Parts: sequence; structure tokens; C-alpha cells
Amino acid sequence: MTIFKTFLKVLNKCKAPIIIYTVFLIFFGGFNIKTSDNSMSFVADKPDILIVNEDKDNKITNNLINYIEKNSNKIEIEDNEEARNDALFYRDVNYIIYIPANYGEDFLKGVNPEIKIKSTGDYQASLAEMMLERYIKVANIYNDTYSLEDDIIEKVNDTLSKETNIEITSKLDTAKLDKASFYYNFTNYCILAGCIYVICLILSSFKNENISKRTIVSSINYKEYNMKLLISNTLFSIILWMFYVLLSFVLVGDIMFTAHGVIYIINSFIFTLCAVTIAFLIGNLMRNKDAINGIVNVIALGSSFLCGAFVPADILPDSVLKIAHILPSYWYIKTNEMVKTLEEFNFETLKPIVINMGVIVLFSILFITITNIVSSKKRKKN
Amino acid sequence: MKNVIEVKNLTKEYKKLKAVDNLTFDVYEGEILGLLGPNGSGKSTTINCILSLLNFSDGSIKIFGKEMKPNAYDLKREIGVVFQDVAIFDELSVYDNIDYFCGLYIKDKEARKSCIEDAIALVGLEDFKKFYPKQLSGGLLRRLNIACGIAHKPKLIFLDEPTVAVDPQSRNNILDGIEKLRNNGATIVYTTHYMEEVEILCDRVIILDKGKIIASGTTDELKELAKIEEKVSVEVKDLDEKYIEDIKDLDNVEDVDYSNGLLLITYKKGKNNLVELMDYLKKESIKYNKIFSERPTLNDVFLELTGKELRD
Ligand SMILES: Nc1ncnc2c1ncn2[C@@H]1O[C@H](COP(=O)(O)OP(=O)(O)O)[C@@H](O)[C@H]1O
Ligand SMILES: [Mg+2]
Repeated sequence: MTIFKTFLKVLNKCKAPIIIYTVFLIFFGGFNIKTSDNSMSFVADKPDILIVNEDKDNKITNNLINYIEKNSNKIEIEDNEEARNDALFYRDVNYIIYIPANYGEDFLKGVNPEIKIKSTGDYQASLAEMMLERYIKVANIYNDTYSLEDDIIEKVNDTLSKETNIEITSKLDTAKLDKASFYYNFTNYCILAGCIYVICLILSSFKNENISKRTIVSSINYKEYNMKLLISNTLFSIILWMFYVLLSFVLVGDIMFTAHGVIYIINSFIFTLCAVTIAFLIGNLMRNKDAINGIVNVIALGSSFLCGAFVPADILPDSVLKIAHILPSYWYIKTNEMVKTLEEFNFETLKPIVINMGVIVLFSILFITITNIVSSKKRKKN
Repeated sequence: MKNVIEVKNLTKEYKKLKAVDNLTFDVYEGEILGLLGPNGSGKSTTINCILSLLNFSDGSIKIFGKEMKPNAYDLKREIGVVFQDVAIFDELSVYDNIDYFCGLYIKDKEARKSCIEDAIALVGLEDFKKFYPKQLSGGLLRRLNIACGIAHKPKLIFLDEPTVAVDPQSRNNILDGIEKLRNNGATIVYTTHYMEEVEILCDRVIILDKGKIIASGTTDELKELAKIEEKVSVEVKDLDEKYIEDIKDLDNVEDVDYSNGLLLITYKKGKNNLVELMDYLKKESIKYNKIFSERPTLNDVFLELTGKELRD
């Protein structure tokens, strides 16, 4: 109890920086949430679609193409399959629609011809898919009741023009998911800074060479003492994490109650534990109180910039992102970005997320191992 | 007399250097034992070995009749240590610092409270309980450092140079405090390189040099080791060379030095030296200002045994 009480007293003496990190989070997080509440996000959400038309000039086919092009960004790519695959890979296009030969005629005959597609599988692509499915569904309905080409087209367009706008945004609340991702990306900074600052400060006090000597000669069991310190530090970090999670419910709102929210929360929890291992490693390498602020800034701010916590990762140069791979923050933020576009929850879609989390766990194990090596080297020196 | 500590053939080697070289000594119950020696003579190393803070190369250490080991928590419970370097939390107040270190030994809150108050009273920090270390002067910090080490009322106390770089007021307070601890029944091992402190405080002294014991005993016993008996200084103006030669021929005189109007006479063992000198000065009608006699110091003993001064 004495140790925990003293832990809190030492903590109380350094609360200012922790409050500042949190105010940062609320200010920037809240600020962003206000500004992203506009139609900008919808315009940006239009998928990039390429249509490969094998059919000849046909009214039905042309109407389909018109509809798709009206609701997407039309992309032009060289007319060969390799170029198209490249474009998909580099996300220059989200969705490719292959309209087969004789599509229009077959459709009128009621054959329901197959339309092949290729997709990047992300959120934009699923919008494109929805758009296509909706068109075909509506067109099939009117194809059954009307027989004249022009009637069908008129009815279809009529129906779709009434519904499209509402329907497209309904499946994923992108604005809210954007907020949530932005918020959790930002916590990369707050969690790292908070954990490293506090744990290093606590260790530099409790593990100061002279105080350690005094502790070792006392009648307390030194292993137990170290255990209590470890528990106190971890407990603090978890409380910090819980606070940021609660804050996300306030700032981001109801999206946190969905499955998306759960993944954000699990992801940030794993990352918090990783931050604890980083903090212990740093705390073991250096015991200089004056250096703590500098180190916090280098690591928390540095990783936040390198891994795209403040600015979207796709505007960062490739070389920077390559370096970022060696930082746990990269995998943490990558998961947040993936959650944002997650349409369905199944083994396939969750696999990359679980892999990312696994990478963070591996990082943690690595840091624990290094910490043990460093501290046993130090002990041998005596 | 009961032995509280028994050190046998203690040797600690750093790569090439023997910091402590085959030490054997006992500490008796209720005494203040002084470990006196210049910087680097192995005082701190000896204490750290006794406390199991350092692995030693050879020898054995018993405290209260039991072998001292890193996990001898029952022994550690009875020991208090004040290290050479101040070891306190900058983030805790004076009171909380003592509370924390006392809490490493005493779990019960109420029992601890009275211990803390006693410790604060002993070092005279009553007016500074709520102060933070940053607000304390060097001397007060040292006093806090001592309070943190002895608050749990240990039976055996180690103090490693607790008065280095301390103002005279704090030094007196610290020395008084140590005396009180002994009077309350504690056994104390006190290291220092100030011989005056040892003379005032310690019942017994061990003089260390280069990791070896070069002499031990009470201060008086040690002073017997010095060849000289006393040193007499006389303030006298323009003394003729002839008188100096005469004085050299007086009984027991070992050496005479005259410079800047100060006559310094060193005597071997013998009696009535001062009286004979004054008789001679009167007979020759030599006018003098002040005259005073000094007993040899431990520095003289150290000089005698090692050929160098205790302080560098
Ligand atoms: N960790 C160490 N490594 C090597 N030599 C050391 C170490 N600690 C102390 N020494 C040497 O051991 C000798 C005794 O040191 P110490 O016990 O601190 O002396 P004192 O306390 O009497 O001033 C010194 O010569 C010192 O340089
Ligand atoms: Mg020393």
C-alpha cells in the first residue's frame, strides 16, 4: 500500500503534462469532429469506377453506364487488362465493371446476363457494388412489368433518382467513422506520451540508484517491490486508456456502441499495453528526469507524424511509410484506418486486423525481452 | 561485551584494485565505532559489503550472530542505513519521505506515525515537515536523509559520511542526534574522514588506508601510537638564533621551528614540558604574547603510520 500511495503522490506532482496531452486530444479531436460534419465527405466518397464496355451501342447499356458515371468518378485507363490490374492495385480505381457483349439485348430477353467485376474490396468499392446491384434490381423489376425499352429506362431512372442519395450513405456512417478513426489515431500520441512520461518519471524516482540502495537494504522483499511497481504502472496505464475510451464515447458518439467501436477499443487496449512495454524499456535505459520530456516528444510526436496519426497516411511519401513499419504505431493506426472502411465482419475481413494486432503483441514481447537483457546487464555490473 | 557485527577476512576486489583488503574486526553492542580514513580508503565499500549490497571476493560477515545475506530480511529489519549520497524523493514532502522509507519496515500506520515524529524531532526538522526537498538547504537535506534511514528505530545503524559538505550548525545537530541514538541503545558504525568528529563522537576507531586496517582502538590508545606527546606554540617577536639553539637542548624537545613570529616546539613523551619552557623564557626575560599547548591529533597518528596527511 505504501508503494501505491507514494506512486500516486509522485504522479500528483507531475499531473500538468498529462492534462496538457489530454487537452490537446480534446481540442484537436473535437475541432476535427466539428469540421468534418459537411458534404465534403460525401463528394470524396464517390467511388472511382472504370467501365469496360464490350456491348455495342445499345440504349439499355448506355443507360446503365450513364447512371454509374453520374454517381462515380469516371476513370480512364489504358485498354489492356494489365493496366487495369495495376490501377486496382494502386487504388487509382476502386471498381471495374465489365459489361459483356449483347448485354442490352440479353437483358430485354430476360436472360439476366452476368456482369463481371473486379474490386479493391474497400469501402469505396462496396459503394460501387451497392450502386450496381441496386440498378440491376430495379431494372429487373421494371423489365418484368414493362416491355418497351424506353418505358423501362424512364421508370428505372425515375425510381433511382428518388433513392440514390439516401441509400448510398446509409450502410456505413462514414462521417462518424472518420471521426472515430481520427480520434483513435490521435490517441497514439496521447497514450504513448502519457505512458512514457509517467512510467519513466516513476521509474526515475523509485529506481534512482541511491533510492534503490536504500530499498534493497530495507526489510522489504525486492522482487515483491518490483512487482508492485509494475502493477501500479500498468494499472495507471489502463486507467489512462479507459479515460480515453470514455472520452471517445463523448466526442465521437453512438458509433462507439457498434462493432466498429469495439474494434477501436480492443485495438487501443493492445496498443496501450505495448506502450507500457516501450515505457519500461526507456525507463530502464535512462534515469534522467530532465531528459524525459525530450524523449516523450521524440517518440510520441515522431511516431505520430511518421505513421500518419495527425495527417492521413496516404499523403506521406512511400519512403516514410516504409520506415514507419518498424514502429508499433504504424500497425495501430493501420488498423484504425481499416476499421473505418470495414463493411462486413467475417473471418476474411477481420483477418488483416487480427494480424496487425498480432504484430503489436510481437513488438511488446520484443520490448520486454530487451528490457530484461538491459536490466540483467546492469545488475551484473555491480 | 556482545558482538553485534563480526567481520572476518573481508576482501573486495575490483578488477585490479583491492578496495577492501582482508579486514577483520568486531562491533560491540552499544558503541559508536568510527571508520576513519581518507577518500578512497574503502569505507563505503566495507559498509556496502556488510549490508550485502556488494558481492565480496572473500571473507564472512555475521550480524547479531547470524550470517548476513541479501534475503536475511529479519536482520535487515533491525538495521538502519544512511548512505553517503542523499537518497530521497524530490516529489515527496519531508514528512512523506520519512513515512515512505519507514513504511518499508513498519506496515502499521499508527506505529509508524510516532516513529516519524521521533525521527523529525531527532534531526530538528519540526518546522519543515511540509517542505519539499527543493526548498531545503544542503544541511537540512542531510538531516532529512538521516531521518529517513533511522525512523524505524533500528538496533544497528550505519552512517556513511553524513556530515560531508554540511554547515556547522547542521553538523552539530547531526553529531548530537547520533549521540542520542546511541544513548537510546543503538549500536552505530560511523564513517568519516574528519578526525575531529571521531574524537568527539566515537568510542572506538578503526583507521583505514588503501583498504587495510592500519590501527584501531580508543582515541587515547591511538594517540599513544604517535611518538610526539604535545605541540607547543609561542607567539614571540624577533627571537635570537641563540635562544632557539638553547630551547632545542631542553628536555624531551624533538623539533623546534621559528617563522613569522611563531615558535613551534614538538615534544617527545615526557612530563612538565610546558613548565620548563616557561621557566626558561622567564629566566632569559623573553617577552611573549600567547602560549598554547596541543595534544597530538589523529592526523599525527596517521602521519606517523603512513607518512602522509589524513586529508589530501
Ligand atoms: N564500482 C567500482 N569499480 C571500481 N572501483 C571502485 C568502485 N567503487 C569504488 N571503487 C574504488 O574502491 C576504492 C574504495 O572506495 P570507497 O569505498 O568508496 O572509499 P571511501 O568510501 O573510503 O571514500 C576507491 O579506490 C574506489 O576508486
Ligand atoms: Mg565513501
